[in-house]
Amino acid sequence: MTPKVAFVTPRYGPDVMGGAETAARQLAEHLVAGLGWQVEVYTTSAIDHITWEDVLPEGDSTLNGVTVHRFRSASGRVPEFYELDGRLRVAPAQATPAEARRWLECNGPVTPTLVEALSAGPADVVAFYPYLYYPTVAGMEAVRVPRVLHPAAHDEPALYLPVFGPTYEAADAICYHTAAERRLVQRVHPVAATPQIVLGLGVGDVAPGGRRGSELLGIGDRPYVVSVGRVDEHKGSVMLARFFALYKQRHPGPLALALVGPVAAQIPSHEDVVVTGVVSEADKWDLVRDARVAVSPSALESFSLVVLEAWEQSVPVMVNATCDPTREHCERSGGGLWFGSFRQFEAALERLDSDPLLRRRLGQRGHDYVAHYYQWPALIGRYARFVTQVAAGDQKPAMPTTGRVSGCPPMEP
Amino acid sequence: MDEADRAYLRRVRAEIDEEVRRRRASGDLPPQLETELEELFLKHAPLGSTRQELHEVLRRVDAAAFIDPVVPVESNRAGGALVKKGVRTLNFWYLRFITHQVSRFATAVSRSLHILDQQLSELAAKVEVLEVPPSVVVEATGLSQPDAWWVEVLQRRLEGTRRRVLHAACADGWLVGALVSSGLDAYGVDPRPDRVAEHELGDLDLRDEPVLDHLRAVQPGALGAVVFSGLMEGTTTGERRRLLDAAVTALAPDGLLVVHSLAPAAWGDEAPPEADIAGTRPYRQGTWPTLLEGLGLEETTTTAGPDGRDYLVAGRRAPDPVGMR
Repeated sequence: MTPKVAFVTPRYGPDVMGGAETAARQLAEHLVAGLGWQVEVYTTSAIDHITWEDVLPEGDSTLNGVTVHRFRSASGRVPEFYELDGRLRVAPAQATPAEARRWLECNGPVTPTLVEALSAGPADVVAFYPYLYYPTVAGMEAVRVPRVLHPAAHDEPALYLPVFGPTYEAADAICYHTAAERRLVQRVHPVAATPQIVLGLGVGDVAPGGRRGSELLGIGDRPYVVSVGRVDEHKGSVMLARFFALYKQRHPGPLALALVGPVAAQIPSHEDVVVTGVVSEADKWDLVRDARVAVSPSALESFSLVVLEAWEQSVPVMVNATCDPTREHCERSGGGLWFGSFRQFEAALERLDSDPLLRRRLGQRGHDYVAHYYQWPALIGRYARFVTQVAAGDQKPAMPTTGRVSGCPPMEP
Repeated sequence: MDEADRAYLRRVRAEIDEEVRRRRASGDLPPQLETELEELFLKHAPLGSTRQELHEVLRRVDAAAFIDPVVPVESNRAGGALVKKGVRTLNFWYLRFITHQVSRFATAVSRSLHILDQQLSELAAKVEVLEVPPSVVVEATGLSQPDAWWVEVLQRRLEGTRRRVLHAACADGWLVGALVSSGLDAYGVDPRPDRVAEHELGDLDLRDEPVLDHLRAVQPGALGAVVFSGLMEGTTTGERRRLLDAAVTALAPDGLLVVHSLAPAAWGDEAPPEADIAGTRPYRQGTWPTLLEGLGLEETTTTAGPDGRDYLVAGRRAPDPVGMR
């Protein structure tokens, strides 16, 4: 008998931009579409992960076969968060449990009604995605069925806050995006003996629109480099635009840069840099397919689907050298290069731009890697077997909600 | 990716690194611009990134050590630059005094870090001479398979174990599979990526990780048993000791530590060439009871294989005293 699965994620839906939230939706939808499982999602009415403002209607709905329960937040991110975050991020492991819990509540979304409904729900197993927010921490404390934690962890100060230790340790199983994420989590939390799987995500069907990428960008026949994802300072977009502008100053030529995705940062205007904003899926595939190189400048990725999507179309990539998961993809696949400074960015891009044989070899290695590890039918089968084992196993005892957990005061709903 | 691809990519990366070195040495970027670009790159890089090399970090420290008292005076407002310049002139004596001291402090810190770097480099050169090669995992013929004589003995010892059982080095999961089939909750770790990578995609919980790193990331007292096979023979004495210590720490009270090892007599034929280079050899069977008891284990048993090539030893962690459970 297949288990009933509930996913808990702070935001959910096609309008939500976020790696972890997108991953949760993809897993949920593939379990339903590929295997006919019964899947529910417990989430908020928010789209914005900064304000957590309730935008979508609360209540139940169905999205691509998945039952979605939306709840209003008691509070979103509050102004106190910024002062507290600034103070704690200097030495997060030294924060007191009370300070760390306050950080969690100030970060939002605080959703006691979601947690109550989850506890009373019919799920046989609950998957929490990602570790960073109240619904996961409070939900892990509350449910009495086996719990799978999808951390989607980066090397960020929050990972070291003591409020998350009990969450990691309470998980009956952990699902990682990459081995690099596992190494990171195990460096901070002693969870190596917990049943686990390194899964990642599958690449969706390539559905190009049939238009030339340069035509979509309005740059004639010029070659270009593409970077797909939120155009955000934290994602490295500002750094990439600056590096590229200087590259062009030192290496004049037709090469352009396309930043593709919702814009959350001011990118200085430059004749060789095109910021597209949000584009359709078809346009995205077209833009990536025709790019010389796809760049992932972000240092804080736990998986990076856009890297795999570039490889799916045999496009070589360049990634941030300090981002372990994307660099691991490159090292394992041989599908890309990495840069740890402007100098390396310059030399690697110059080499890739001028060496079609290198581009072809890298693109092919990347394509082979995606074909071998990241196809949905195989991935969802592995995940389903893993979840079934977890659901059938003896779970750890539920975390006490009235007492102290590892020195951390209980959550206040 | 095959070896030819790996070699090709290594060469490309080396060429890129060489180009970076050449351009940096040529000084074709103004130092201030280079510093600005590096700060931009590092702004959102993980603090604990293990991907940065010390000499690179030191170079950035050097670049940031000088605090410039000459504050920029550009302004978008009419007359703004003039006002700023006036304020700067008035405050210059004060700012220069402060920045001079800060720069002096930063330079002293930078100098001490360079000395540390130099001493570490010298130490590394000395350690290199000692040549501590990586551990060798041994898969002896006929002994790393489910019908090997010692698997049945092991399964009898593990009967009733409720917590997770770890097998290292697990290879393709041949023992983990057998233990899971017998109803145990088992998983495996192996330090050889090529030996375990494909099997990680199966249904068994197998991981490509250094065994010691793994054990150190286990919650103390979390495991019902740790089974080492093919791992003790080819490790250096120090690493062997650390593996055993970490395994005992990971064991729950009543947990079982099991070691399957080749006997010294079989080592010459079965050992891979790396073992010769490492200069390691297996312990004699009779050494283990003393060793395990020294680790605080009880009920130690040793069982010799049928042809004397190998043996199995086991010891149980003492239960916690009453009242400490």
